[in-house]
Amino acid sequence: MADGTTHAPGAGRRRPGEPLIAVQGLTKRYREGEHEREVLRGVDLHIDAGELVVLLGRSGSGKSTFLNLISGIDLPTSGTITMGGTNLTALSEQERTLFRRQHIGFVFQAFNLIPTLTVAENVLLPLELNGRTGADEQRQALAYLAEVGLGDRAGSFPDRLSGGEQQRVAIARALAHDPLLILADEPTGNLDVRTAAQVMALLDRLVRQAGKTMLVVTHDPDLRALADRVLVLEEGRIVDAAATVA
Amino acid sequence: MSLLTRSSMRYLRRHPWLAGLSVLGVALGVAVVVAIDLANVSAQRAFEQSAERVTGRATHHVVGAGTDLDERVYRHLRVDLGVRPAAPVVEGYVTVPSAGRTYQVLGVDPFAEAPFRPYVGAGTGVDLATFMATPGTVLLPEPAQAALGRTVGDTLVVQVEGITRTLRVAGILRPDDAYGTRALENLLVMDVGTAQELFGRVGRLSRIDLILPDTPAGEAELERLRAALPPGTEIIRSAGRTETIRQMTRAFTLNLTALSLLALVVGMFLIYNTITFSVVQRRFLIGRMRALGVTRREVFRMITGEVLLIGAVGTVLGLGAGLVLAQGLVQLVTRTINDLYYVLTVRELTLAPLTLAKGVGLGLGATLLAALPPAREATHAAPQAALRRSQEETNLRDRLPRLVTAGVVLAVLGVGLLLVPGQRIVLSYVALLSVIIAFALVTPAVILVLAHVLRPGMGRLFGLLGRMAARGIVATLSRTAVAIAALMIAIAATVGVGVMVDSFRATVETWLGYSLQADVYVQPPSLVFRRGDATISPPVAGVLQRTPGVQAAYSVRSRDVRSSEGPTHLVAISRAADTYRTFRFQRGDPERIWPAFDEGRTVIVSEPYSYRHGLGVGDTLRLQTDRGERSFVIAGIFYDYGDDRGVVMMSRAAYERFFDDRGLSGLAIYAAPGQDVDALVERLRERVGGRQALLIRSNRALREASMEVFDRTFTITAVLRLLAVVVAFIGVLSALMALQLERARELAVLRVNGLTPGQLWRYVTLQTGLMGLVAGLLSLPLGLVLAYVLVFVINKRSFGWTLQFEVPPALLGQAVVVALVAAVLAGLYPAWKMARANPALALRDE
Repeated sequence: MADGTTHAPGAGRRRPGEPLIAVQGLTKRYREGEHEREVLRGVDLHIDAGELVVLLGRSGSGKSTFLNLISGIDLPTSGTITMGGTNLTALSEQERTLFRRQHIGFVFQAFNLIPTLTVAENVLLPLELNGRTGADEQRQALAYLAEVGLGDRAGSFPDRLSGGEQQRVAIARALAHDPLLILADEPTGNLDVRTAAQVMALLDRLVRQAGKTMLVVTHDPDLRALADRVLVLEEGRIVDAAATVA
Repeated sequence: MSLLTRSSMRYLRRHPWLAGLSVLGVALGVAVVVAIDLANVSAQRAFEQSAERVTGRATHHVVGAGTDLDERVYRHLRVDLGVRPAAPVVEGYVTVPSAGRTYQVLGVDPFAEAPFRPYVGAGTGVDLATFMATPGTVLLPEPAQAALGRTVGDTLVVQVEGITRTLRVAGILRPDDAYGTRALENLLVMDVGTAQELFGRVGRLSRIDLILPDTPAGEAELERLRAALPPGTEIIRSAGRTETIRQMTRAFTLNLTALSLLALVVGMFLIYNTITFSVVQRRFLIGRMRALGVTRREVFRMITGEVLLIGAVGTVLGLGAGLVLAQGLVQLVTRTINDLYYVLTVRELTLAPLTLAKGVGLGLGATLLAALPPAREATHAAPQAALRRSQEETNLRDRLPRLVTAGVVLAVLGVGLLLVPGQRIVLSYVALLSVIIAFALVTPAVILVLAHVLRPGMGRLFGLLGRMAARGIVATLSRTAVAIAALMIAIAATVGVGVMVDSFRATVETWLGYSLQADVYVQPPSLVFRRGDATISPPVAGVLQRTPGVQAAYSVRSRDVRSSEGPTHLVAISRAADTYRTFRFQRGDPERIWPAFDEGRTVIVSEPYSYRHGLGVGDTLRLQTDRGERSFVIAGIFYDYGDDRGVVMMSRAAYERFFDDRGLSGLAIYAAPGQDVDALVERLRERVGGRQALLIRSNRALREASMEVFDRTFTITAVLRLLAVVVAFIGVLSALMALQLERARELAVLRVNGLTPGQLWRYVTLQTGLMGLVAGLLSLPLGLVLAYVLVFVINKRSFGWTLQFEVPPALLGQAVVVALVAAVLAGLYPAWKMARANPALALRDE
């Protein structure tokens, strides 16, 4: 996994005053048989370092597509995505994968823990993928687990945990390797109201505490309360980028 | 251990059935290949040892026209031409009835032996002059002494061509090194005169051994000797002779190896199926990993690592099982070689490192090869959580036209390769593999059609559950297609081999039906069933011919001679009035063949002989006779299934004109009208009495004995076919079981919605049963195509035989039943497990 740290185009070439993430003219079209469907239509967006942005949108509005593009999982039809000074759209698939493993942390709706790894190993995975396998990293992973209140479940496998607990492990995993950006895709979609509130509070606290940037993609308007800025994705465009919460 | 590796290992541990059955698939494939190879190598090694011990350090042999030459040639060489070193040799085989063993006999001149075979005569303490002067004495090597429990002065009763003889042990040979001990195993040594008398070849030698240096001087000496030798004799290289004999079994061993590879190919499909399944099952998991930044290469490494582990464990187990299996197979291989080719005794397995290396290479290589496509597919797992199964199925549906096209292209390629003229067997097997893969590629499309056709019937028979079962197969086509294709191929392989053997058997039965027309057949017991070159003693033959109730007796003489085409099996027949009915000609007009044949101007050759040597009607064949080299025109090519090396047949009159030998290898006796054949057989046996042990059999008994030998030579094929069935069975079991176990969640949903455990059981077994039925039905056309290729291409190219195509309906039925039973059995465990499981647990997220 050592190649992860050497080949990935790192952040740090960002000039002072530049946003952490700059999205310009982002368009994504899919072919569906004879027809072409445009999911994103020239999206422009800037996110500064340390910002917590909530992107709202109904089902089918293109939220997941936007998330896949911004994380380098997929490539746009046109437009650019620059993150930490690196133009993601100019990278090869391999380079994008390496960028992702170094600089992005994920929190998914379905938790997406690896069932064949223990809770502690799941948190350790992003560190190991970046070639960090020492005792310090072990301690760091356990510290994150303790932080999310699961220090006593390090040796358990994910299927022994409740939904809320699994999402807390996912949060620990997303933060463990000190990424530039945390992407949360419907992080409360599979949780009850009370657990959802607890999980979001935890996510908010940890992200802000670590000074990280986070983009939360959701259809749940209740999450706007946490955001520094709220964006709305509608018919392939970000139509309301001005709303802010004090 | 990295976390990815750890995750991978835990996956295998959590799916012990899947891992275990994959390991078993590899192990069985490797075991069969290793066992066959070990058996072949052991037989070959035993043959080489036997050739070595009688050849010794001789570089050249002086040989006669047939199996022997006049001993005066030796005197001429030594005395007139002053050739040193030179040694006379008489070779043969005796059986020791008390021990039930066959020994090779080496008749030598002890004084001439030292430069050739120093171990002969070593450590005997015997006065060689006395030994030579005393007839009927034998030197026992230490291994034979131990096995026979005889020592100096004891008598040893042996049988030669059915005649009992008593020898006296004159000394014990004690070789002083391991090589000598090995060389003398299964060997009896006697003076050349005693051996001549024992084998009824007084005045004749099997050959004369020479040592000629590989230098210009040696070449010059060779030329001088060649010029000075009488007609009919020739000098050949000793290595060439051994190689020629070894060539006899080449096609036999190659086909055995190919059949063993069949088990490996079936095993490969099993591995392919299992790994594809494990990849498809983990598509979401791999997608998660990819989203977290695991690269394609890392995914590929993870999957191939798993596969290598499965391959390594399977290979180790396979090597062990192969050794055990080889113990049994070597006996079958040896028996077949003894029935068909030459006398061979294999006492132990030869553990050739190359065989074991081949096993390891094949085990790991085949596993990796089979796992490459699914491992590659795993790297393309989309790195996102939004992937849906339906999308995966859509992908496969989109690919169907391409798969069908690729299948058609591959089939055309395979057929094209089969049409390439020539005798290359390997090319035929490559073509066969192309056809198999072509069938696998079109399988998903055919399943769609078949499921569509079967669905209404399933609905009528089993209601909603039946329709669901049929729909389920199509809905999860990406998984079911692989399982069905793997099962289809495994079953088809067994159908192909089964039809081939049955076709061969039917052909031989038909052939025996028309070629055996006499009432009684007499022949001396021969060590090699198919090569009846032993002779009936002339007084005994006279007694038989004069027996009351015998209307006529016709003779057969069978022996090896040299020809322009190499060693040739020559059969001389005296022809009865109805002999024309016992031959069917592939080429040539019988009306013209027989008159020319009787005149001795022409010969007829069997189909394999014509095929092997590229000879046709009107071509000339040059035979080494006792009168020197003579040319014979080939008048006809007849069908014959007795000898895959082929036979040249000439009239007895012509034989006696060109050869000094007057021996009879067999008699075909016609009973007088009204004479009861069984009574005649009894009478003939009584009249021969103890003079010579002869096989006197009625027409029916000989046919039965021949078919028994046929079945015996195909025992090994039957064993291999059975092993392929076992591998196939395990394949379907693992594929379908894994498929059903993976559906735990779906089945739990059905249980939650009110499906009773009994209904669940029915649903699962209906679906697996339907898959088995589809695979069984699909295996029939592929099996018949395989059989067609085996019968008309591979058999023809290997042995030159034209066979009938016989399709026994029972065999086809059996194939479908095996597929169905395996499939239903595969559903039992998952159905039982799910029926007992708490649906709530199965519905939990991972």
